[in-house]
Amino acid sequence: MRHGGLLPLLLVGPALLFLAVVLGAPLVQAVVLSLEDVKVVGSEGSFVGGDNYVRLLEGGAFWGATLRSLVWVAGNAVLQTVLALAVALVLNERFRGVRIARTWVILSWIIPTVVVVMIWRWLFSNSGGMINPLLIGLGIVDRPIGFFSDPVSAMATLIFINSWRWFPFVALMMLAALMRIPDDLYEAARIDGASTMQRFFRITWPLLQPTLAVLAVVGTLLSFNVFDVIWLLTAGGPSAGTQTLPVLIYETAFKGYRLSEAATVSVLTSLLLMGFAVLATRVLGGAQR
Amino acid sequence: MRLMTTAVLAATALTAVTLVARPAAAQPVELMLWHMEQPPHRVARVQELINSFNAAHPDIVVTQEPQNWGEIYAKAPAAIAAGTGPDLLFAIPDFTPILKDIGALTSVADFVAELDAEHDFVDSTVAAYSYDGGVWAVPLYNMAMSLWYRKSVFEEAGIAVPTTWPEWKAAAEALSNDETWGIGLPANRQLYTDQTVYDFMVNNGASELYNEDGTIRFDNPQTVEAYDFYAQMQAMSPPDSTSWTWGEAEACFSSRACAMILQFTVITTYDTQAEGDPEDLGVAPIPHAEGQDESYTIAYPNAVMLLSQDEAKREAAETFIRYLLEPENYGRFLNMEPGLFMPVTADGATAESFWNDPLAQKYRSQIEVMIENAQNGMLFGFTSGRTFPSIAAISAQNILAETLQRIVVDGESPADAVAAGQARMMETIE
Repeated sequence: MRHGGLLPLLLVGPALLFLAVVLGAPLVQAVVLSLEDVKVVGSEGSFVGGDNYVRLLEGGAFWGATLRSLVWVAGNAVLQTVLALAVALVLNERFRGVRIARTWVILSWIIPTVVVVMIWRWLFSNSGGMINPLLIGLGIVDRPIGFFSDPVSAMATLIFINSWRWFPFVALMMLAALMRIPDDLYEAARIDGASTMQRFFRITWPLLQPTLAVLAVVGTLLSFNVFDVIWLLTAGGPSAGTQTLPVLIYETAFKGYRLSEAATVSVLTSLLLMGFAVLATRVLGGAQR
Repeated sequence: MRLMTTAVLAATALTAVTLVARPAAAQPVELMLWHMEQPPHRVARVQELINSFNAAHPDIVVTQEPQNWGEIYAKAPAAIAAGTGPDLLFAIPDFTPILKDIGALTSVADFVAELDAEHDFVDSTVAAYSYDGGVWAVPLYNMAMSLWYRKSVFEEAGIAVPTTWPEWKAAAEALSNDETWGIGLPANRQLYTDQTVYDFMVNNGASELYNEDGTIRFDNPQTVEAYDFYAQMQAMSPPDSTSWTWGEAEACFSSRACAMILQFTVITTYDTQAEGDPEDLGVAPIPHAEGQDESYTIAYPNAVMLLSQDEAKREAAETFIRYLLEPENYGRFLNMEPGLFMPVTADGATAESFWNDPLAQKYRSQIEVMIENAQNGMLFGFTSGRTFPSIAAISAQNILAETLQRIVVDGESPADAVAAGQARMMETIE
């Protein structure tokens, strides 16, 4: 097969053009908007240069939201990986009903977000919810807990709910990777007297690394941009304790009527994510070479 | 053949001349109505009224397009800028300054005066849309908050309906036990909390957010006292009330987990999900601070804005609004959600079409109290004619609720929290 020439460019060209229109144009528009002082959607603004960037970088809201986004991404990454790995390891075993279990486990992933939110909101509620009576009945607490009452518990609860929603996707990816590991390796290790833990850390874990690396990049980008679960459950509260960057962008644009400031946060967020994606691609590329 | 051709041409020409001669008369005026009453039964009721109107007015065709409150603040200005906005758009008071600010509104003062002479508007409903020398929307229905409780629960505890803050606090304390929260008050950074916080403010003489010159007067002793008292009462609410919206409060009351709540109405949920006993459902004015002579409440007079600049369309829109406010139609309109939407006119409050609804008949005494409470309704940023466009952003960012969270969640003192709230409002104005 010949490389080079016009053919590859012609084949890739339409896709690039499409991306330039649907991604590039809004991004350029966001950059232009960030250099103006537009307030309400549909109103006019004037050019203010880098004022929005200076104000944003000097203020606390952007940095606070960035920190919370990092906590959100890290929390989701750790919890989803642990849950998904545990489930994938179980589903990789041969036992009766494994096919049903493999289908059943994706249930939380296919349920619409709004339904997930309603289910968990009700479960955690102090008025008829099941979690608090259960905890009190087991003697773990003596008074109902407000899971969304303070910033720390609200963030932890949100991470738990979002991880519950997304871990089946990660588990399926891991399961696919586990199923590709040849049984011969485990058999040889067993003959050499390797324990279960040794087999896991010497065979399973190293061979899962490429999949985990790809999942880390994709998962980070997906988690970072989650808006619906946070907005529907806490709307960024209490006391902005769960206000991540996507929530800050929405609030600034559509509740604060500061469209240009929201565009500024969007541009900075895009740069942050693009930087991460480039770095991750290089690291992954280097690792594969 | 030539004669035939000539006859056909003549007939065609005659038809064309006839059509050209009477263009406008044959074309009905088309009106697009946007409203945010999305539940299917409300849309269906609005459609029923539109169908009746269109049948009675062949020269006007009204069409509805239900919208979403969550999107309309961004969608309407964009649609108007693009020339695709509606001719009629429902509103709450803090929506009008946004559209007025971009030049989309013309005063309807004369039209409202005409309707007032005929139907007698509740004054506070017109006041909420009267500022900057004009009236910017026509009031259509009202929602005012009240204190909801169970009479039997109060009787068992030997408690009289509280009218002042000390009585209210004592009642909540007496009703708090292992199974019941004395009161359910939200502390979410959300509109419901804005509303309940303002209920406390107006009942301590802190109804004004603005000075006459448009500067913010939020940081004052009355406001601090109101927040302080709110925080004391909120401590007797469920822990998850920091994430409550209206539904959770109603659920808490319906399930008997909360002894009292502040709400626009609980009639539908109480009737369908709780006991449904009209004799036991209590509703009262919100208690006021000592030293205040009567109770006030937050009220949301919903209204309709006339957006078209076209004279024929404006006339048609006025005809449609006159039709809606006629007592024989108005009750049907209000009862798109029985027990929630209160009349804004005197003849609407007595209209047979309003009281004919089975739920209105069943809970008539409660609805009468709700209507009475609405007479003392106020809305933050829309009092004493002191309305400024920045109220839209203050409201949309839930700064009243955010100030409460500083106390309830972050542990700040009421004085510090209110000072911070004032600073946030001033930042918003800039």
